[in-house]
Amino acid sequence: MSNPQATAASRGLACCHLCLKLVSQETHRCPRCGSTIHSRKANSLERTLALLMTATILYIPANLLPIMITDQLGQSIESTIVGGVILLLDMGSIAVALVIFAASVIIPLTKLALLYHLCWSVRRGPPGTVRQRTAIYRGIEFIGKWSMIDVFVVAILVALINLSNLLVIRPGPAALAFAGVVILSMVAAESFDPRLMWDRQEAIDE
Amino acid sequence: MATEGEANRVNPRRSVPDYLACRSCDLIFDVSMLRDGESASCTRCAAFLSRYTANQFEQVAAVALAALVLLGLGCSYPFMLLKFNGLESAMTLPQVSLNLISHGMPVLSFCVAGFIIVIPAVVLLLLLAMTGAIATERHYRWLPWVGRVIFTLKSWSMVEVFFLGVLVSLVKVSRMATVEMGVAFWAYAAFSVLFVLAMSGLDRAQSWRRIEWLSQ
Repeated sequence: MSNPQATAASRGLACCHLCLKLVSQETHRCPRCGSTIHSRKANSLERTLALLMTATILYIPANLLPIMITDQLGQSIESTIVGGVILLLDMGSIAVALVIFAASVIIPLTKLALLYHLCWSVRRGPPGTVRQRTAIYRGIEFIGKWSMIDVFVVAILVALINLSNLLVIRPGPAALAFAGVVILSMVAAESFDPRLMWDRQEAIDE
Repeated sequence: MATEGEANRVNPRRSVPDYLACRSCDLIFDVSMLRDGESASCTRCAAFLSRYTANQFEQVAAVALAALVLLGLGCSYPFMLLKFNGLESAMTLPQVSLNLISHGMPVLSFCVAGFIIVIPAVVLLLLLAMTGAIATERHYRWLPWVGRVIFTLKSWSMVEVFFLGVLVSLVKVSRMATVEMGVAFWAYAAFSVLFVLAMSGLDRAQSWRRIEWLSQ
């Protein structure tokens, strides 16, 4: 290892986001994989915030509208995300209720809140906490897709429970809205550049 | 095209330094000194950098092939059977996505199909092409393109999430009806384990180093 303290940016280099090739910052296209080279993700903060806000707004219909509609003997019962969790609790499936509650309520909300916090921290965050904030970012990246579980459960039940006239399960509009929340917040996490937090820390240290 | 001969037999990784910058904090590291089974993490922010496994590409190719066969089985046989008041209905994996179209949700159907079948299948097929080329030390013009598609799509497969969803649905339905698992259920269960194995065995930095080396 040459100088373990040097960052790519301080040497006038940029790391390809896709293949990790180190090239000069003037390079436009990665010579190894052909991706476009950016020293830092383009418009990272603006993009992340825009996607985050859209996801936050979409989270409201995702919780208010029904995610699943059960037609049983001419009777329609609509259930929301939280309604489904309460139903599971009533049935005594506490473990499954917890999984769904964590995946559909706790994880998305925590994720949105933490991403807002990270965006704010790029300019105003307390110095000395960059390491923890980077760890938080990696956690957000890892956990993002697990929120999709409730959408999959609805899709499975719709396909499985299809007994004409007797018992039919239909997807509700919240399924689409919630899938949108998960996808948008995954793209938001991908647009955020944790290196911006380190850039500021380095500027403070100097 | 890589030239034949003795030079090719030398481990390409340890002869030249292999610099990369940490994706979380931009610090530069040289990962060329990694030995078989060793992995490197960033000293400043603890982010994972790279892991070197001697026969990584042969292993990933074998696992990817097995996973692809299992996914094929998972799509062609009944996934779950429902028995309710003397009535029976069978569900297949493609129906999980296709039935959403008949309920007026083509966009959601498209997303579900992508996350659980199409993206994993495309990634596995391209992975077979890439690891096959690397393991047999041949360069093709499409190799960088294939690598780019694999590493772009790989974070969008939700195979393991879907399987947890299957287990949750089983618990939900078993309260009101009898559910039987079909052949495809077990095939997809095994597929999701192998898929996760293939993805975690594939190292970004090492893959691209080999692709670059083959193109020289």
